[in-house]
Amino acid sequence: MATVPMPANPKVELMLMDSAISAIVIAIQMITKHCKKLKWKRRIVLVTDGRGEIDADPDGVAEISKKIKEDEMELVVVGVDFDDLDYGFKEEDKDYDKATNETTLKALVEDCDGIFGTMQQAIEELGTPRLKITRPVHSFKGQLTLGNPGTYDSALCIDIERYPRVMIRKPLTASQFVQRTDLSNGHHSTQSSNTVMPDADDPGSSAAQADPNGLTSVKNARTYQVTDEDAPGGKRDVSRDDLAKGYEFGRTAVHISESDLNVVKLETQAGLEIIGFVNWSNYDRYMSMSVSCVIIAQKTNSKAIMALSSLIHALFELESYAIARLVTKTNKEPVMVLLAPSIEVDYECLLDVQLPFTEDVRSYRFPPLDKVITVSGKEIKEHRNLPDDALSKAMSDYVDRMDLSTFGKGDEGEEAEYMPMADTYSPILHRIDQAVRWRAVHANEPVPPAYEILTRYSKPPEELVAKAQRQLEKLVAAADVKKVPPKTQSRKRTRNAITPLSGLDVTALLGSNPKKVKITPENPIPEFKQALDIADGVDGIRDAAQQLAAIIKTQIKDSFGDIAYPRAVEELGVLREELMDLEEPGIYNDLIKQLKKKLLAEELGGDRREMWWEVRKNRLGLIEKKSSEVSTVDEEEAKAFLLSK
Amino acid sequence: MADENKWKPPGEEEEEEEELDETAYKSAKDAVLFVIEVSESMLTAPPPVDAKKQERDTPTSAALKCAYALMQQRIISNPNDMMGVLLYGTEQSKFQEEEQARGTLAYPHCYLLTDLDIPAAEDVKALRSLVEDEEESKKLLVPSKDRVSMANVLFCANQIFTTKAPNFNSRRLFIVTDHDDPHEKDKALKSSAAVRAKDLYDLGVIIELFPISRPNHEFDRSKFYDDIIYNARPMDPEAPAPISGTTAPTSTSDGISLLHSLLSSINSKAVARRALFSSVPFEIGPGFKISVKGYIIFKRQEPKRSCYVWLEGEKPQIAAGVTTQMADDTARTVEKVEIKKAYKFGGEQITFTPEEVSVLRHFGDPGIRIIGFKPQSMLPVWANLKQSTFIYPSEDDYVGSTRVFSALQQKLLKDKKIAVAWFVARKNASPVVAAIIPGAEKLDENGAQITPPGMWLCPLPFADDIRQNPETTLIRAPDTLIDSMRVVVQQLQLPKAVYDPHKYPNPALQWHYRILQAMALEEDLPEKPEDKTIPKYKQIDKRAGSYIIDWGHELHRRYEEWRKENESSAVLGKRPTPGGKDEIAVRGAKKTKTGEGDGTPEIDDAQMKKAFEKQSVGKMTIPQLRTWLQSKGMPVSGKKAQLVERVEGHFEQK
Repeated sequence: MATVPMPANPKVELMLMDSAISAIVIAIQMITKHCKKLKWKRRIVLVTDGRGEIDADPDGVAEISKKIKEDEMELVVVGVDFDDLDYGFKEEDKDYDKATNETTLKALVEDCDGIFGTMQQAIEELGTPRLKITRPVHSFKGQLTLGNPGTYDSALCIDIERYPRVMIRKPLTASQFVQRTDLSNGHHSTQSSNTVMPDADDPGSSAAQADPNGLTSVKNARTYQVTDEDAPGGKRDVSRDDLAKGYEFGRTAVHISESDLNVVKLETQAGLEIIGFVNWSNYDRYMSMSVSCVIIAQKTNSKAIMALSSLIHALFELESYAIARLVTKTNKEPVMVLLAPSIEVDYECLLDVQLPFTEDVRSYRFPPLDKVITVSGKEIKEHRNLPDDALSKAMSDYVDRMDLSTFGKGDEGEEAEYMPMADTYSPILHRIDQAVRWRAVHANEPVPPAYEILTRYSKPPEELVAKAQRQLEKLVAAADVKKVPPKTQSRKRTRNAITPLSGLDVTALLGSNPKKVKITPENPIPEFKQALDIADGVDGIRDAAQQLAAIIKTQIKDSFGDIAYPRAVEELGVLREELMDLEEPGIYNDLIKQLKKKLLAEELGGDRREMWWEVRKNRLGLIEKKSSEVSTVDEEEAKAFLLSK
Repeated sequence: MADENKWKPPGEEEEEEEELDETAYKSAKDAVLFVIEVSESMLTAPPPVDAKKQERDTPTSAALKCAYALMQQRIISNPNDMMGVLLYGTEQSKFQEEEQARGTLAYPHCYLLTDLDIPAAEDVKALRSLVEDEEESKKLLVPSKDRVSMANVLFCANQIFTTKAPNFNSRRLFIVTDHDDPHEKDKALKSSAAVRAKDLYDLGVIIELFPISRPNHEFDRSKFYDDIIYNARPMDPEAPAPISGTTAPTSTSDGISLLHSLLSSINSKAVARRALFSSVPFEIGPGFKISVKGYIIFKRQEPKRSCYVWLEGEKPQIAAGVTTQMADDTARTVEKVEIKKAYKFGGEQITFTPEEVSVLRHFGDPGIRIIGFKPQSMLPVWANLKQSTFIYPSEDDYVGSTRVFSALQQKLLKDKKIAVAWFVARKNASPVVAAIIPGAEKLDENGAQITPPGMWLCPLPFADDIRQNPETTLIRAPDTLIDSMRVVVQQLQLPKAVYDPHKYPNPALQWHYRILQAMALEEDLPEKPEDKTIPKYKQIDKRAGSYIIDWGHELHRRYEEWRKENESSAVLGKRPTPGGKDEIAVRGAKKTKTGEGDGTPEIDDAQMKKAFEKQSVGKMTIPQLRTWLQSKGMPVSGKKAQLVERVEGHFEQK
C-alpha cells in the first residue's frame, strides 16, 4: 500500500483544508508520481470538518472521479460530525455550508465507489482489529479415491483440491539482539527500551549505520562433542566435517550413509484414499488433532464438482463421516483424516481434520466420575466425590441459565449466538501489533492499554451473570467447596502421615530408635530424610545436613569428569527442599556458600566450574526471602551469588 | 535441556524457559525397572483352559515378553527414558559392571539382565534371545534353592536407581510375581523388606505390582505387598489419586491368555502419567472455583530427528551439539541476560524491555474461566487448531472439586452441551478461547478403560485464524446420483461405524524404527512394510464395486444432461487451463472418454508405455504428461524435462 506522507505542518494542512477538493487533487498527483503504473494499492483518506469552502465545479468533480476510477484508487472521506444514517449519527442544526459540502463529497465518494463515514465511527473502529485476508493456497491437489484404480475397474476417483480452512496466525516474532560492544558503555547503558538514534560522533561502521539502535544481532554457533575418556572433562570437540548422518535407536547410534538416508522413509504415493465410513454420533470431537482444511473438487472440472457433491450429500444424509488416508506428496508420511460434509446455501465442500494413530494415544487411566469403586471392588453411588441430587440440580439450572446460544444480537437485533468465533480476536497478536506500532511513533511513552475487544470475552457477560446470580448462589451452596489454605501442613505432620497401604508404622520397625542416624554414601537421600524425621531440634537437623553435604563434596571430588554431577544435583535439591520445609534456610545457605567456595577454589578435584553451572541451571542457589520468610537473603544477593565470582 | 520441555505445546519456547518452578531440578524423565521373579511356579505354564491353540507362556516368559515389547515401544515413544530388567530368585547372580559397582554389596540370586539405561541395540537383542531362544532361557532361568530376601531385592533396585537414574522425575519399579507372601515364616525378613521399601519411597521410587494368581490360589496383596506399596507418589505433588483396585490380579481362568492380560495391564502403565499443568483454577461462575489438572492424551508421535554420528572412535557415537550464542559484530559469546528482544517494523528495530514484554503478554493469571454454555451443535468440525487437552479434577487446592466437576461433566454429557472458556495455561501464556467438551468413560470388551472420563479443552480459532473458502462453482448433484452414492457409503462402514485409533499404527513411524532396529542389530532389512492404513481394496471391490460402477454410469448420464443444458451459456465458466483435464470418475468409463473442453487428448497407460519404449515421451505436451503423472499420484511440478524423467523413471522401475 502506498502511504504518501501528508505534510505535517499544520499551516499547510490548513491551506489544504480550504478546499478539500484541491487536497484530493494533490493527493492524486502525489500517488501517481510515487506509484507510477506499478501495482500498488492506492488509497486516499480525506479528513475534514467540512466547514471550508468547497469549490464544487461539477466538471472538475467528475474529472477527479474518473481519474480515481481509472487508476483504481480508493477514496475514503472521514468527516467530523458528518451525518451517517447507517452508523446512526446525525448532527442537529448543521449549518448550510457544511451540509452542502457533505452532499458534494458524498456524491463524489459514491461516484467512485469509495467509503464515506463519520469521524465517530472511524475512532470507534480503531479499536477493532483488522483481519488480514490471505489468498487461499492449496495444500494438496490430487485424487480422492475409493478402491484401487490400479487394480480394480470399480474404483472411484475424483479430482480434488485441498485448502486450509483454519491456520493459526502467530504474533510478530521478536529477534534477539545485544548491545554493540563499542557502544555499550557510557550513556547508552541507561537507554532501556526505545529507539535510539545513532551517536552523533560515532564514526559509523557500516553495521552501525544499518542499525541505528546500537544493537547487533545474536548468532548461534553450534559445536559438537563426543565422550572421550582421555580428554580433560571427559568430552572432546569434534569437527562437523568428521561427522556422518545417522539416527538414534535407543542409545545406539545407527549410522546411515548419505545415499541411504531414504531407507528409513516409507515409500508412499500421493493421494486421498477413503478407508471407510463412520457415524457422526460415534465420533468423539476431542480426537481431532490438527487445523482443518477444505476439500473441493478441481475448480475447472464440472464433472468432478458434481461427483463430489453426490458424496457430500450422501454423507450428510446418512449422518456419516469418511475416514481417509492422506499423502500430500510422494513419499510424505501418511496421515489419517476425518472427512466431514459441509453444505451451505451456496457452497459445498468436505472438511478434513487429522486423526490420531495408535502411537499418538496415551493410555492414562482415571477413576470414573459417576461412581466410586472401592479397593474391594464395590461400587458406591454416594460419596463425597460424587455430586448429590441437590448439587446436580443446581449445576443443571446454572448451566441452563448461562446459555449463550441466543444471548447475542444479530445484525437486525434478533437473537443470535453470543461470542461467535468471528467476533473473537487473538489477544496476543493484536496486542503486540498495537504495541509495536505505538512504540515506533511514541518512542518514550508507555504503551496504552489493550483494546477493549481483546479482553471482552475473558469474562462472562455481566448482564447474563446478573440473570444467573440466584442459580450461582444455589450452586455454590450445594457444592460446599473449601479452599485449601496454603502451607498449613508442617513437614513433621505430613511425614508422619506417610504409611504403606497397610498402615504399618515403618519407623517403629527401625528398632531401638537411635537419636542420630549415620548417613551412608550408598543410600544418602532416604537416610537423610529419615534422619530429619527423628532429629531433635536444630542441632540434629544441622548434623544431618552437614553429613549429606560432606557426602556431596566427596562425590564431586571423586567424580570422573561430570559423571557424579547428576547425583550431586539431586542430593542438593533434596537438601534445599527439606531445609526450606523445615524453615532452616540458613543451614542450606551456609552449606551452599561453602560448596561454592571449594568448587571455585578448585579444592574438589580440580576445575569444577561445570558443577557450579549445574547449580545455577537447576536453581540450587541461596534460599531467598521470597521462598522462605525466615531467610535473611534478599533477591539481589541471591542473584549475585549465582555468578561465578 | 530439551527433555524438560517435552510436554509443552509448540511455539511457546520463550515464556516457558523463564518460569521453571522450584522443582525444576528434576528432569522430566522416566526410568522403569522390571523386577521379575524366577521360581518353580513362575516357570510353570498354567494349565490350558479350553482351546488348545491358546499360548502356553509361563508367567516368567510372559513377563519377559512384556518387557521386550515395552522396550521396543519405549524406544519409539520415549527415546530419552530408561529401562532395565532384573530377575530375582535365579541360581546365578549378576550385578552392574565391576567398575560401577565399587563398594556395593553383593546381591545373591539377583540377576541384572539389562542395566537401567536408555536401551541400546544389544539390550534389545539380549532380551529377545531370552524370549525367543529356548536354549538361552533354559540356561539362565533356573530357580535357586535358597529363598531370596525381598529386602535385598529392593535395596538392589534402590542402588540401580540411585546410581543410574539420578535426578529422574519418575522412577518406577514394576514387580511381576505370583508369590503373595515371600516371607511368611520369617518376620524379621518381612520387616526389613518394609524398611527397604520405605527407602525406595523416600527416594521417590514408585512400586507398581503386577500380581499373577496361580490356579487355585488368588493373589492376596494384604499378606505382604500392602506393607511395601505406598499410596501417593512421593515427592511429586502432581500425582493423581490412585485408581481403586490398581492392577487387577492377572488370572488365567477367564479365557484371556496370561500374556495378553499382563500386556494390557503393563501397557496402561507404559507411560508415566505426567500432568501438563497442575491445579489450575477452574472458574465455573464468577468467584466460584475448583481445581483441575491437565493431561496430554493425544499427541502426534514423530520419529526422532536425524543426528550426527562420530565414526572415528571404536564404535559409532552420537555427537552432542552445543549451541553458544554470540554477538554478530565481534563474535564474542553473549550471556542470556544481555539479550534484548526487538521487533522489526519497517526498517527499524523496535525494542521493549523484558518487563514490558511480560506486561504486554499478560492477560491475567493462569486459569480456565467459563464464559457460558452452548449446544454442541454450535461447534463446527472445522473449528479446531490442535489436539485437545484432557482435564480431570484435583482436590489439591479446593476440597470438593471432584463432585462439582462430576456434576458439570454429567450435565454437559446429558444435554449435549459444551462450555466456552477463556484459558490461560501458564503464567504469561497467550490466552485462548476454548471449548470444553465433556467426555464419557469408554471401556473395552474386558472392562478395561480405553478413554478416561473427564472433559476436554479444545482451543478454538480466533477470527484471525479463520481462512476464506476458495472460490469455486457450485454444481449440486441430482438426487438420483446422491441416491446411488448413498448405497456405496452404506456398504463400507468401518466395524461398529467408529474410528478406533488402536487399529491404525503409524506406518511411517513403525517402518522408520523397524529399519533402524534391523540396521542396529545388523540384520537383513525387512522388505515390505506392514501398513494397516491402506484401504482394504479387495473388500471394497467385493462389497461396493458394482454399486460404484452404477454410480459412475449415473454420473456420466447426469453430467451429460447437465452439460447440454449449460454448455451454451457456460462458455464463461469453462476455461481451459493447462493441466486441467476432464474428470474421470470411474476407471471403467475412462477408456471410452477423451478429454473434452481443453483440447488435450488424454494418454492412457498403453500409449505412454509405447512412447517410453520408442523414447518419445518427450514429444508429449506438458498437460498430457501432468495428467498422466497425476493419475499415478506422482508430483506434477517442475519443468518439462523433469516431468519426462519422472515418467521414464516410472517405467524403468517396473
